[in-house]
Amino acid sequence: MNARATGALIALFAGLLLLPAFASSYVLSLATLILLFAYTGQAWNILMGFAGQLSLGHALYLGVGGYAAAALYFHYGIGPWLGLWLAIFLCALIAAFIGFLAFRYRISGVYFALLTIAFAEFTRIGFDHFSWVGGSGGLFLKVTQRESLDLLNLRGPPAMFYYGALMLAGAALVLCSWLLKSRPGFYWQAIREDEEAARALGIDVFKWKMLAMILSAALTSVAGVFIALYYNNLFPEQIFHIGRSIEIILGPIIGGLGTLFGPVIGAALLTLLAEIATELMTALGWQFAGLKQLVYGVILLFVIIFLPHGVWSPLARKLGIDNVSRRDAGAQSLDSK
Amino acid sequence: MTSLLEVKQVSKSFRGLRAVANVSFEVEENAIAALIGPNGAGKTTLFNLIAGALAADSGEICFADRRVDGLRPEQVCAAGVGRTFQIVKPFAGLTVLDNVIIGALLRAPNVAEARRHADAVLQRLGLAAKRDAPASALTLPDRKRLEVARALATRPKLLLLDEVMAGLRPTECDEMVDFLRDLNQREGITILLIEHVMRAVMALAQKVIVLHHGEAIARGTPEQVVRDRAVIESYLGEGGVS
Repeated sequence: MNARATGALIALFAGLLLLPAFASSYVLSLATLILLFAYTGQAWNILMGFAGQLSLGHALYLGVGGYAAAALYFHYGIGPWLGLWLAIFLCALIAAFIGFLAFRYRISGVYFALLTIAFAEFTRIGFDHFSWVGGSGGLFLKVTQRESLDLLNLRGPPAMFYYGALMLAGAALVLCSWLLKSRPGFYWQAIREDEEAARALGIDVFKWKMLAMILSAALTSVAGVFIALYYNNLFPEQIFHIGRSIEIILGPIIGGLGTLFGPVIGAALLTLLAEIATELMTALGWQFAGLKQLVYGVILLFVIIFLPHGVWSPLARKLGIDNVSRRDAGAQSLDSK
Repeated sequence: MTSLLEVKQVSKSFRGLRAVANVSFEVEENAIAALIGPNGAGKTTLFNLIAGALAADSGEICFADRRVDGLRPEQVCAAGVGRTFQIVKPFAGLTVLDNVIIGALLRAPNVAEARRHADAVLQRLGLAAKRDAPASALTLPDRKRLEVARALATRPKLLLLDEVMAGLRPTECDEMVDFLRDLNQREGITILLIEHVMRAVMALAQKVIVLHHGEAIARGTPEQVVRDRAVIESYLGEGGVS
């Protein structure tokens, strides 16, 4: 990354830090949503964009993570700081199990994607009948006084959640940037590009795919905990729904697979355009269900036709930010598969 | 001279077709040996058996006095065997330099060290000017060089080269021959190559093994092999070696 890009990034971060001081609660909730999607996109991108394994069931980790922390809090009053570790542990375990099944028995490509959907779906159905956490009726956390800040239990005003999301998105960006420049990033990209060649160069493909899977799932589970605390309710039909999984992956695909800033740009673009469309339609007096999905579809179509490698790479070139050629090329090769 | 690679009575069949049948040979330390033979003779299958990409049906393969048959490809590589693929397998989306860094990371303690080593390897193979190009942009001869560079970056004791001269112009071929000879003499890297370009084989190899229908039908010095009746009939033809 060059000086120009670093400067822009610092300015952006400073702006985001100051946002709650002047933004309305509406803008703040929108910004929180964007940052959350940037974070989950980043987590998913590790598995797909870096290591080339297409998961279409990441809602599983959101759900299990969210339910783990929420249930601990609901039943035993154990705060989310401990619940978070349970969420991470459970999701890492589940990812290790699915990863072992898939990678040990060489399930890849579409079949891997189907396996991830299957696990997410039957977990959803399982939670529908899991009465300890409310079954299909959902699990509700007590909505306490939102103005008081309780950092120990992560109960507080919207600004607290905004800063939480900002921290998560920022930390994920830093982590992924480091990963790409380090051994794991090189190995994952090698596996993504050609597994046989990677093995011939001494890379333990099974081990590194497992690591990508576990890391991606563990990071996603943290977002699940966040969602549980932010919305104070969890329904299996929402949190585990395949629509969730799709929402997670649209950002990085539209922004640019395997790129560092793709998930961020993608999340912003999707959320803002969907919101603008909704506002516009409301102003015109047209309101119908599924508008957001329609907007997602149109954006996806547009990106696939006109910017097949995502929005980020051409944008970065226009902005004169270097060091994108490799990522760009990575996206191209994914495209050709 | 002790042998670095020992292939003992190795066989491999694919659905009843004997691709490699009872093949035995040795490659001595610091030697250059060549595997030749017509298309479909089982040369690449033999390479895949040595490199761990395929499991042998029977027989033993020893590398540096250690059984390596049954090991996975990454373990064979870690033991000190570097290989190239006949149908090149570059990491197409990554730069030339990153391709080689990935190979170098096997022995390098960190990325910075791997980068230094990769740079040096690219320099030696004449790819330094293209280090930042995506591997997908390379011409076929350059991709062959990249295959060699990547394998070499893993600091192997034995290099398995599968038709790296194919598609090279005669001058490029001579350059590769000089490079491999230099590599062998200066760094003591043992080389086993599969090659159809006989002029490279004659120039490089001290020992030639000829495969035909999966069987080793002849072995010896290049001069002995090209006069061998069976080899002429099955592979080289009456014209001999140009």
